[in-house]
Amino acid sequence: MTGLEFLQEAKDPPKPGFRLSLGGIMLLVGILMVALVVGLQLARQNRSQPTAGLAPDFTVTTFDGQTMRLSELRGQIVILNFWASWCGPCRAEAPILESIWQDYRERGVIVLGVTYADSERDARAFIAEMGMTYPNAPDVGTFVSRQLYHITGVPETFIIDQRGEIARFLFADINEQRAGEVRALLDELLARGAA
Amino acid sequence: MKIGGFFCASLRALGFIIVVLMLAAIPALAQTVDVTDDAVNAVAKRLYCPVCENQPLDTCMTEACARWREEIRLQLAEGSTPDQVVANFVAQFGERAVGTPLDPVLRALALVTPYVLAALALMLGVFTLIRWRGRRPVSTPAASIPVSDDYLSQVERDLRGK
Repeated sequence: MTGLEFLQEAKDPPKPGFRLSLGGIMLLVGILMVALVVGLQLARQNRSQPTAGLAPDFTVTTFDGQTMRLSELRGQIVILNFWASWCGPCRAEAPILESIWQDYRERGVIVLGVTYADSERDARAFIAEMGMTYPNAPDVGTFVSRQLYHITGVPETFIIDQRGEIARFLFADINEQRAGEVRALLDELLARGAA
Repeated sequence: MKIGGFFCASLRALGFIIVVLMLAAIPALAQTVDVTDDAVNAVAKRLYCPVCENQPLDTCMTEACARWREEIRLQLAEGSTPDQVVANFVAQFGERAVGTPLDPVLRALALVTPYVLAALALMLGVFTLIRWRGRRPVSTPAASIPVSDDYLSQVERDLRGK
């Protein structure tokens, strides 16, 4: 006993160990939340259009008031075309699609147009102007185009076979050359379906 | 008399034509004069381009944006309020029209995160303030040491190393 023990006590270093202050915890939670948002956004951006497998099912109501569900069209080939009235290539493509529709409609092929980010009056005017007789429907809430098919622009077209599987994805507009390829594919799918 | 009667009839006919033309022009005036570009842009500022990433509608130069701005103009001319126009766009084109992510999880996080961060910052501020106010001046150890002759002599001995 020297009487100086109190000095020794005062000099005792703090006990080692990992201790997080409340501020540190809050900062950590904040960083985690921001990282989660950014991570999810990046993951979402990496989603791309389906190019194979079962085509995502959806229901739309056409401008004529007809309700159409993709899964109920099994047994037919569906040309699912996303378009907009403000899209230049869509204007060039529409007569070609109409021609395909006229040539194949009796053979079990259906062309289904779905508008993307287009006002109803513009879409209707476009349909009338282009003389499109195949069914066309608005994509309310852009659910079909963005959530299911992850399109990045218009026009984009999916050719869905009789089993409901995506046979071809066309990232560009259907010009005369591509129309030949589409017709060849339709013939092939129809022949396969008949066999 | 005949000339005067013809003149009056002509004036009446002219007046009738002017009234008819003015009445016919009212809807056109309602659409082109009443809704200014500023009014359209005030709504467009709250919306985003449907094809670009994070591009506000009022500054976007694409054809799609031009069509959307025209749609805003038409809806305003039809009597919709700016809030109604925005609501119509959201109903028709989805939450993306107002720049909110479509993914439900991401949307929830995007909406909640700023509030959570603000709450955390507030809590941190309050916590710091409480700690700062609760801190008392450190008392000098000397005040608590019993001072006695024995103690002082002990210290001196220790300092001498004995």
